[in-house]
Amino acid sequence: MRFLPIYFSLAFISACYQTESTITDTLLYCSDKAPHSFNPQISHDVATLDATTHQLYNRLVKIDPISQRFVSDIALRWEVNSKKTEYTFYLRRDVNFHHNDYFTPSRQLNAEDVIFSFDRMLAKEHPFHLTNVVAETYLYNHPFSNLVADIVKVDDYTIRFMLNKSDATLLANLAAHYAVIHSKEYAQLLLENDNKAQIDYLPIGTGPYQFKQNSTKRLIRFQAHTKPWEKPSNIKQLIFDVTPNSTKRYAKLLSGECDIITNPAPSQVKQISKNELFSLSSQPTGNVALIAFNTKSKSLQNSDVRHALSSAIDRQTILDAVYFENATAANNLLPSNSWAYNPRAPLVYYTPEHSREKLQNGEFDFSQTLRIVAPIKSSIFNPNFYKTAELIQSNLATIGVNTEIIQLRNEELNATLMAGEYDLYLTGISPYIKDPDNLFRPLFSCSSNQIEGNTGQWCDTKVQALLDNTLLETNFVQRVKNYYQLQEYTQDQLIYLPIAHLLRFDVFNNNISGLQMNPLTGIDLHSVNKVPPLTKEQIK
Amino acid sequence: MFNYLIRRLYLLCITSIILTIIAFSIQHLTVGNTLDSNVFSQYLDYLISISQGELGVSALDNQPILKTALIAFISTLELCFFAFIFASIIGVPLGILAGLERNRGIDYSIMSIALIGLALPVFWVAIIFTMLPNLTGWVMPIDGNISVIYEVPMVTGIMLIDSLLVSEQYQLSAFYNHLVHIVLPATVLAIFLISEIIRLTRHSITMIMRSNYIKAAHTKGFSRPQIVYRHVLKNAIPPIIHQLRLQISTIISFAMAIEIVFSYQGAGMWLFVSIQQGDYLALSTAILIISGFILILSIIVDLLLVLISPTKRKVLYADQ
Repeated sequence: MRFLPIYFSLAFISACYQTESTITDTLLYCSDKAPHSFNPQISHDVATLDATTHQLYNRLVKIDPISQRFVSDIALRWEVNSKKTEYTFYLRRDVNFHHNDYFTPSRQLNAEDVIFSFDRMLAKEHPFHLTNVVAETYLYNHPFSNLVADIVKVDDYTIRFMLNKSDATLLANLAAHYAVIHSKEYAQLLLENDNKAQIDYLPIGTGPYQFKQNSTKRLIRFQAHTKPWEKPSNIKQLIFDVTPNSTKRYAKLLSGECDIITNPAPSQVKQISKNELFSLSSQPTGNVALIAFNTKSKSLQNSDVRHALSSAIDRQTILDAVYFENATAANNLLPSNSWAYNPRAPLVYYTPEHSREKLQNGEFDFSQTLRIVAPIKSSIFNPNFYKTAELIQSNLATIGVNTEIIQLRNEELNATLMAGEYDLYLTGISPYIKDPDNLFRPLFSCSSNQIEGNTGQWCDTKVQALLDNTLLETNFVQRVKNYYQLQEYTQDQLIYLPIAHLLRFDVFNNNISGLQMNPLTGIDLHSVNKVPPLTKEQIK
Repeated sequence: MFNYLIRRLYLLCITSIILTIIAFSIQHLTVGNTLDSNVFSQYLDYLISISQGELGVSALDNQPILKTALIAFISTLELCFFAFIFASIIGVPLGILAGLERNRGIDYSIMSIALIGLALPVFWVAIIFTMLPNLTGWVMPIDGNISVIYEVPMVTGIMLIDSLLVSEQYQLSAFYNHLVHIVLPATVLAIFLISEIIRLTRHSITMIMRSNYIKAAHTKGFSRPQIVYRHVLKNAIPPIIHQLRLQISTIISFAMAIEIVFSYQGAGMWLFVSIQQGDYLALSTAILIISGFILILSIIVDLLLVLISPTKRKVLYADQ
């Protein structure tokens, strides 16, 4: 009897409680990591892309998620000259920048803002060029620096991109996450106040949501754009709740404290897919997990040795034990849905019985110990580097090859890679645009170093010529042919052994609709619609 | 009484100095100091800054670390307070029952449950409780101390009050939301506390039931309820409070562990996040605040005991 008042008060409190999933104008997105900044020009991690590209900004053009064609965004339309060296973009005249307590724009978007945004990346003397950028990374200006000779303002609403040579990838680059448009007026204000760094942390864009608050990297609040130029968003309050623990993220989805969770643990995927209350979205990301063979290492210079070692590695077991259902098997660096995918490129089969024989014939020195280097921290490429390395070690041990696993932190890892002190390296590659050049160039180009992606330390005039010619090639059929040739050659050389094509998983409540996942540019929450939670009966 | 107070304060001073030395050493080792001056003068500077309430600025949010730490610690105390209320309402009657029915079936049952409560690791129980709402179909929040949709500015640091201050914007929904968020973490903490309170109450009741004045009351012909209500309960409480005082640091430690599981924004979560992100200044600040609080509270409890319990008053005399 004494406990009755407690039970009554608990029941009363519980009855007053409304979970967040019942509030239809607020969306809670639970991510695993906090964004590095709020500018996808300088930060290319998935968390930054999710929080910024589609939420805060717009680009000149974008890729239609259904037709996969380039469609207008800030540029209403565009024209290309006959030589395909000049692209003229006509801008919309009704684009408003965000209006909030730290910035009140006095004008709408015009050509000055577009030029400012690209100049920041391209012009070394630009006052914002090195703001918040520790070192010039490959993506910061590389996609445009070799491509664009000049960007000219024709009038207030017309700009022209003058290319060095005809290049097929300009539109793809303009639709990529790093081509977002910032406000020049806001930048000038910050420059006057001597507070340049703020541009990437208190952002002003034109996207459907505007930045409100970022409290100690755990909670990021956005609100709907107060003067949107596009269709206003149904969601008035968007909250990014950073929950690093995957079990906790799933528990919060179950308790209604998250509407969408990203990256569920591989082991949870099966369980989630059985739950009728949630939808599981899986998208191929274009990211490939791979094993790089250091071709400068004495023992791995011979491609026969690389083939023999590769065919001793049981990739299916790695896929089952490490990735669960978060990845699909990879036979080629390109995913099979890519337009440049070559189905005839040579494949690697798991035939350990022949591996030892091949190595013996090739006079491989079995007394040496190969170094398998891997990062300590898990990454988007691999949820468990150590387990993968152990599986490879045990595979190679069965054919009599000794290995040691060396796990390193980022700083040590970079030094080790640059010094070339490794034989096998567990890594991966993330392309940022759909063009295959974006995948192949970092891996195979002579001008790309180990940190930029060429961990195979490969430099070959034939591959380099193929890469360069294909980039400039405007004939689509010829481009496909060139990439076919490149794949056949590089698969034959086997500098990288692909392990898995990674999938991106997002789980959301069934009362959410209109979610668009773009694995390259991040999640798009503009058209999200949220209705009161559905019961199991309603779902049935 | 005055002499006793002075004695306690003297003890407080000595312990506080030891504490500041520990906190200073930790800060010196983790954060480091580039000044050329010697360690002793750095320590003196540190003491001066403590006396001025300036413990430095957090590397995470550039806010004064003392303010952030105090707000977090008050949240922890709020959690402990609710757990204590829960535990007292359940634990004291059960403890009395076990004490009165000593060595009978009901005593064994209660003590078995209490023992299980003591034996279960608190973080494990907390993890199980985060799964409970989903398993039972009872809709309860498991993360934080208030839903993230409410923007509650910190005015007093006590969320219960702060959530009422925003009632113009959210009516009472923020307040209710906070209360619901407390239920699960406070229940987990209460499980440990209930076991402790049952154990202490039972022991205290047993001791008093054996005392001569209770036997005398029996011989006088008083009924059992009369004896219990008039004599036993009144005398059983001081030893319980005295024993619980010794458990304060354990309770706060458990609360901090529970906070991490429930992402409850208290001292535990604050310390965890700070250390994870390399803000080691939080370590020395937390030591100063938490240990300082335990010290002061134990002195207050001592004084309180002296005031409410005549048997404790003998400590007022220095030679006793």
